[in-house]
Amino acid sequence: MDFGYTSDQQDLRQQIQAFMDENVTQGLLDEMEGGEEGGRGPQYRELVKKVADKGWIGISWPKEYGGQSGSRIDQYIVEEEFMRRGIAVGGAGSGAPAILAAGTEEQKEFFIPGMIRGEIIFALGFTEPQAGADLAGLQCRAVRDGDDFVINGQKMYTSAAHYASHIYMMCRTDPDAPRHRGISIFLVPMDTPGITVRPLWTIQSDPPAPPGTTYGMVRTNETFFENVRIPASSMLGEENGGWYVGAMGLNLDRVGASRYLISVRRDEDIVNWVKENDFNGYSPADNPAVRDKLAEMWTEAQVCRLMTMRSMSLVNRDGNFTYEGSAEKVWAPEHGVKTTEAISQMLGPYAQLLSNSEENIEDGLFAHNLMGSFQSGINHGSVQIMRDQMARRGLGMPRG
Amino acid sequence: MAKDVVCGKEIDEDQARAQSSQTSFGASEVDPTQGTRIFHDGQWLYFCGLDCRGKFLASPETYLA
Repeated sequence: MDFGYTSDQQDLRQQIQAFMDENVTQGLLDEMEGGEEGGRGPQYRELVKKVADKGWIGISWPKEYGGQSGSRIDQYIVEEEFMRRGIAVGGAGSGAPAILAAGTEEQKEFFIPGMIRGEIIFALGFTEPQAGADLAGLQCRAVRDGDDFVINGQKMYTSAAHYASHIYMMCRTDPDAPRHRGISIFLVPMDTPGITVRPLWTIQSDPPAPPGTTYGMVRTNETFFENVRIPASSMLGEENGGWYVGAMGLNLDRVGASRYLISVRRDEDIVNWVKENDFNGYSPADNPAVRDKLAEMWTEAQVCRLMTMRSMSLVNRDGNFTYEGSAEKVWAPEHGVKTTEAISQMLGPYAQLLSNSEENIEDGLFAHNLMGSFQSGINHGSVQIMRDQMARRGLGMPRG
Repeated sequence: MAKDVVCGKEIDEDQARAQSSQTSFGASEVDPTQGTRIFHDGQWLYFCGLDCRGKFLASPETYLA
């Protein structure tokens, strides 16, 4: 068993790094701190176009839909290198896996090439004010009316709604069915009449978190649907089969660099900082307690990396895995919290100075990470829900 | 005008739903200071903010009695 990369993959990594040295400018990073377009302003869109022209988005997606039918590991390398600079491109967390698995030919031909070109961005519309961890309690209704559905309800924490072109949303289509069986998924254009977005400013908004912060989004939203009429062809998968499509899609979206790097980047950031800086007149790299803690964190990070590699290997072979994504979703955020706590102990009060403090470290990155790391254990499926999934799917235990 | 069933404050439904700006892909944005709402049992209920809505959701029967 070889856990290393091939020479072609190492070449790919070097090409990406060289590309980013040339194209990830300070102007782009400054733009990414802005909230109105979620960091996806004109310079970001220009970068995505260049990345798409390189053939680096959705490498593992099928050729017939604009991808390259390539290795999931290659795609991971793209995601990893861009995420190290705080830039989400490459294909992870996009909704594409669910569309490829459950979509109609028409949906695949429309959405996948659009996502590769960076022209289609999905907001995730699952959580509701009264249904988050208990997602099956969602109440947003979609009622069939001839060849259409009419949606009424609201979604909460639709973090991409202010820059998304579409929303990938769960609705209740059969209120009389058992909770998990009366749900369908719809792919809805954000400019459909009746959709309104209400901004919610996060703990990271004032002062704004620097690029690369764990859960550094300055803005999230709630989104309302009032008599939103959409064609029945907007449905992804079978009517009332949305729970299973959604769960499968979420699991696949968890595979890749985003989960691994969301916490491991913290280890890399502090190791790099410790090696390159003096702190209060001494080199922290010479401090045995600091060295010991960093080595411990690094070891834990390698567990996370191996879990990610195993998931991608499974996806590469048959596209089917059950609890592995959930396991990563527990390990990585909890490791990230431990890391940010350890960094706070190393840096003392400096770890609390935010981006607008003149004496901050690394533009306040470690302080903003301290706030964001705890969020990573809640978003996109809490660690408690993930443990429940592992108990059922991985260990064969009954539903609790 | 609608009434926040938790705190009693009057909410202008039209203002709460009025477009104040537009997202980059053409979705209508509303002014967050004009209150929020929820679709409950087939009708929209309006609230001054998330706190009141959260209290309502924890015990709807208390406020709709």
